[in-house]
Amino acid sequence: MIGSGAGRAWADLGLGAKGLIVVALPLAILLSGIGALHLSGRAEAEAEARVRLTFAIQRDIHEVHALLAEAASGVRGYRLTGRRAFLEPYVKAEALLPQTLDRLRRTAQDPEIRQRLRRVDALVIQKRDGLAQLAAMPGAGTAAGIEAAEVANALVANKAVLDALRAEIDAMQRRERELLEQRQDQADSERRRTWTLTAVMAGIGLLGGLAAAQLLFTGIVRRVRGLERDAERLERGEPLTLADEAQDEIGRLARRLGQASDLLRSREAALREGEERYRRVIEGVRDYGIFALDIDGNVVSWNTGAERIKGWSADEILGRHFSTFYPPEAREETPARLLDTARREGRVEDEGWRVRRDGGRFWANVVITALHDEAGTLTGFSKVTRDVTERRLAEEALGHARAEAERASRAKSEFLSRMSHELRTPLTAILGFNQLLGMDREMLSEDQRHAVDQIAKAGGHLLAMIEEVLDIARIEAGGHALTLDLIEIDPLIEDVHDLIAPQVQAAGVEVRRSGDAAVRATADRRATIQILLNLVSNGLKYGSAGGVITLNVVDDRDGVRIEVIDEGSGVPPAMVDRLFTPFDRLDAERWSGVEGSGLGLALSRGLAQAQGGDLIYRARSDRPGAIFVLSLSAPQPSRQGVSP
Amino acid sequence: MKIVPEDTALKTARILAVDDEAANLSLVERAFRREGFGTVVTFLNGHDALVDFAASTPDLVLLDLMMPGVDGYELLESFRRLTPATEYLPILVLTADSTMNARLRALSLGANDLLLKPYDVGELLMRSWVLLDTRRRFLTVRG
Repeated sequence: MIGSGAGRAWADLGLGAKGLIVVALPLAILLSGIGALHLSGRAEAEAEARVRLTFAIQRDIHEVHALLAEAASGVRGYRLTGRRAFLEPYVKAEALLPQTLDRLRRTAQDPEIRQRLRRVDALVIQKRDGLAQLAAMPGAGTAAGIEAAEVANALVANKAVLDALRAEIDAMQRRERELLEQRQDQADSERRRTWTLTAVMAGIGLLGGLAAAQLLFTGIVRRVRGLERDAERLERGEPLTLADEAQDEIGRLARRLGQASDLLRSREAALREGEERYRRVIEGVRDYGIFALDIDGNVVSWNTGAERIKGWSADEILGRHFSTFYPPEAREETPARLLDTARREGRVEDEGWRVRRDGGRFWANVVITALHDEAGTLTGFSKVTRDVTERRLAEEALGHARAEAERASRAKSEFLSRMSHELRTPLTAILGFNQLLGMDREMLSEDQRHAVDQIAKAGGHLLAMIEEVLDIARIEAGGHALTLDLIEIDPLIEDVHDLIAPQVQAAGVEVRRSGDAAVRATADRRATIQILLNLVSNGLKYGSAGGVITLNVVDDRDGVRIEVIDEGSGVPPAMVDRLFTPFDRLDAERWSGVEGSGLGLALSRGLAQAQGGDLIYRARSDRPGAIFVLSLSAPQPSRQGVSP
Repeated sequence: MKIVPEDTALKTARILAVDDEAANLSLVERAFRREGFGTVVTFLNGHDALVDFAASTPDLVLLDLMMPGVDGYELLESFRRLTPATEYLPILVLTADSTMNARLRALSLGANDLLLKPYDVGELLMRSWVLLDTRRRFLTVRG
C-alpha cells in the first residue's frame, strides 16, 4: 500500500467503487497509451510527408534546371543550324516551366528556398526572354557580321543569366539537401519516439494490470479469505481474528461475523453453564438414583444417588444394560416390559425388588420416562430410582399390625358372641320351662304358682343384668356401633317421656321439661334415649314418691347438656366416687331398699363417652336431690359413623 | 289355654329343630306338643340334621347357631343350597348370640326370622305358626 491513509481510504471504499477502480485503472492506461501512440504516429507521418515534399522540390528544381539547359542548348542549335527542330526543347520548356515553377512556389515552405525561388523566377523570366530573343533573330544559318555580334551578345547575356540561375539552383539544391537530412533525422527520431512510447505504454499497462490485481487481492480476495477462515473458526468454536476494521461491505460482514461469534459464544457459555449446573444438581442428588438409558436400555449416565443406592460406580456401569439391576427371576421379562410401556405411554412407574452390586436386594420405586428430541424421535429414557425399602418394611409392619388389630378385633367380637351365648343359653331352658309351667297355672298349687313367679322374676332380673354386662363389654370392646347424627333434643325427650310413662304413672311422679328449646346436638339417638331412660328410671327408684323429676336442657358456650334432676336424698358424698363403678351398688339396698344390677350408670357413662360426651353427677344445691348431667357434642354439619 | 289359633291343617307340619343343648330341644318339643301342632324332629348336631334334611324336606327349621362341629351358619348355607329357588322353606334362627354381627350374618345367609334366647315361648310359637301358615299358603298357591 502507498500509505496507511490511502490504504485506509481504499479499504473503506465500497465494493462497487473498488470494482470500478480495479477495472478502470488498466483501461485508462490502455486508452492513454493508444492516444499517445496515435499522436506519435501522426508526428512520424508528418515528418515523412515533409521528407517526401523535399524530394519533390528537389526534383522540380532539377527539372527547372534541366528544362532551361535543354531550352538553351536547343536555341543554340537552332542559331547554329537554322533548323526549327532544334527549337523543340525550347517550346517544351516554355510550356512546362510555368507549371513547375508554380508547383515549386506552392510546395516550398522554407523561407530561404522561397527567397531563392523568387530570384530564380526573375532569372527564369530573363532567360526565357533572352532565349525568345535569340530564337526570334533572323538569318539563322546565314550569319552576318552585325547579326553575329548581336547573337554573340545575346548568348553572353544568356550565359550570365544561366550561370546566375545555376548558382541559385545549386544553392537551392544544397538547401534542400540540408532540409532533407534534417527532416529525415526528424522522421527517424519520431519513429524512435513512437517505439519508446509503445514500450513504455506496454510497461505501464502491465504495471497497471498488476496494480489492479494487487488492489483486487488486498482489497477483496485476501479479506474474503480471512472471513472464510474466521467462518471456519466459528464453525470449530475457536475465537475469531477480527482483523478487518474497514467500513466497506466486507468489513461490515466481518464485524457481523464477530458479533455473531460473540453472541454464539455467550449463548454457548450460558448453555454450558446451565448444563453444567443441571449436571451438578443431578449428579449431586443422593437420595434418588437418576440416570439415563439409550433406546436399547443401556446406561449412559449415572449420578451419586444411583451409585449410593445400587453400589455400582459410573465407570463400572456405563454401557451395561439396566436389566443388571433386576433380580434373576425378573431380569428376562420386567425390564423389557417397562421400556415397552414407557415407549408406548411416555412414562411408567414400578415398584419391586432390585439387586445391588453386592447382590443385596432393596425395594425400589422406579419411574422411567421416555425422552424425545424436538422432532419427536425417541432418544432414550430417564430413570429415577428411589430406595424405599424402609417404607416397604414399615408398610409390611403396618400391615402386620393391622392384621393383628383385626385379629384382636375378631377375637373380641368372638369373645362377646361366646359370652352372650354362654350366659343366655342356660336361661333359655330355665325361663322357657318356667313359662310352660306358668301357661298352665290352673294345674298348679298356690305354692307352685308362687315358685314359678319367683323364678320368672329372678330370671328376668338375671337376664337384664346379663344384657347390661354385655353392653358394657361391648362398649369396652369397641363393638358397640354408634351412629352420630344431628339430632333434635325436644322430640327425643318426648320419646323418653312416652317410653317411661307407665312407670312414671305407677310411681306417681311428675316429669317436667325445662331449659332451652330447639336445641340440637351430634349424638347417637338410640344410645341417648337409653341413657335418659336409665337416668329417669333411677330418679323414679331413688327419688321421693310423688315428687318431680326435671329434664333441664342447657345450650351454652360449654356445649349441650341434659340435666336429670330428682328430689330424692341424693348420693352420700363419700360414695360419689364409686357411683359409676360397675356392680357397685353403694349399699343401695341397705339405704334405699331398691334393687338393681349396679350396671346402669356405668353403662350410661360408657355410652355417653362413646358418642363424644360424658355423664357426671352433681348434688343439688337448693335442696336434697341428685343431678345427673349428660353432656353431648355440639352440632356438626356432617354425619359420621363412629366406632369408639 | 292355647297360644296360637286352632288350625288342623298345621297339625301334621314337620318341624326340624337343631340345638346342641338337649334341654332347649326338649323345651321346643314340649311347647309344640302343648299347642298341638306340628311334629318336631330334633337333632343335637348339625351333621345329623343335614342328613335328615336331605332325606325328607321339613316345613319349618328351628336352628341354633353356635354348635360344635357343623354350626348353624354352615347349616343355613347347606339348607339354602339344597332348597330349590322356587321352594319356600322357612328357617327360624334361635340364638343366644346377641351381637349385631351374628344377627346380620344369619339373616344374610337366608334365615327368615330370628329370636334371641332366652325367648318368650309364646312368641316362639306365634312366629312358628306365622311361618308355617305362610308356607301352607305358598304350597296351596303352587298347587
